[in-house]
Amino acid sequence: MQGVNESKPHWLRVLAIGRRPKATLIRIAVLVAVCFVTFKFILLPIRIQGISMLPTCHDHQFNCVNRLAYLRHRPQRGDIVSVQLAGRSIMFLKRIIGLPGEMVEFHHGHAYINGQLLDEPYLKFPSNWEHEPIQCGSDQYYVVGDNRSMPFNEHTQGRAEVGRIAGKLFL
Amino acid sequence: MKNVTLLVFFAALGGLAFWLWIILFPSPEKAVLKKIASLAATATFRVDDSNLTRAAKAGNLVSLFAADAQIILDAPGQGARTLAGSDEIHAAALGGFASLPQLKVQFLDVTVRIAADQQTADATCTAKVNAGDSKDFGVQEMHFQLKKVDGNWLITRAETVKTLS
Repeated sequence: MQGVNESKPHWLRVLAIGRRPKATLIRIAVLVAVCFVTFKFILLPIRIQGISMLPTCHDHQFNCVNRLAYLRHRPQRGDIVSVQLAGRSIMFLKRIIGLPGEMVEFHHGHAYINGQLLDEPYLKFPSNWEHEPIQCGSDQYYVVGDNRSMPFNEHTQGRAEVGRIAGKLFL
Repeated sequence: MKNVTLLVFFAALGGLAFWLWIILFPSPEKAVLKKIASLAATATFRVDDSNLTRAAKAGNLVSLFAADAQIILDAPGQGARTLAGSDEIHAAALGGFASLPQLKVQFLDVTVRIAADQQTADATCTAKVNAGDSKDFGVQEMHFQLKKVDGNWLITRAETVKTLS
């Protein structure tokens, strides 16, 4: 009879803290620590606001920025990156089309890099952008959104210093 | 037991004195942060604020700037504009407060650097501005220069920063 009393904890208690509370506490602590490190130092959760990255990224979409993406290599053309302003509360989400030292220009809505037409299969909307060549510095990347149907002057774009690139879009 | 009570009492008294000291004599960084926050609060107004309230806010806004302050605005798609001196800033503030239905200004990620002489300071931040009743907002990186005048920090220069050149 004594064994029966000892063995069965209440089902509600089992549901809340498990059969072994100490192990549950350790698991929770590990989970909290992993989440803290992951979302503080590795993956930065973001909510996309605006239409400049349509149709690749939608308004109010959630995503993450991988802050370790450029530990081993430099940002690449085609990468979607977050560009920080004064801090990381609000950042620009843009695609890299121009690398350091390259010349970027727009003709009839198409991007040209050093005079060569850039193949951009991710663009789905028509564009009529025209802009004279812009030279990227040795530590600058030319970033622009995928929605080039917006008027050129209303679309935030341009050369970003490498130090402003906070990471690469994760998903 | 009496000693413990006395100890707790003096510890609490010390904590209170420290808290009062911080409130009454804030560090230069804190004072500048407070000034930037106060600028955001003064520039913010609601749709139901009367013209009198808006005019008063415009006056308060000017009082945060030095008499010879400069505001240099060059936001993408907005064109470049420079405001020099209290009169121009006041006129622009009055015009802005009268023409917009409402405005919400926030300064995020504020970083303050105090000069070695403790008399001037630089602050950078991201301004988040919502001018309508929608959730859409504009963002602009900003740089402020401040100067201590008669113990009060005043903005001497405010300018937009081009995040993307």
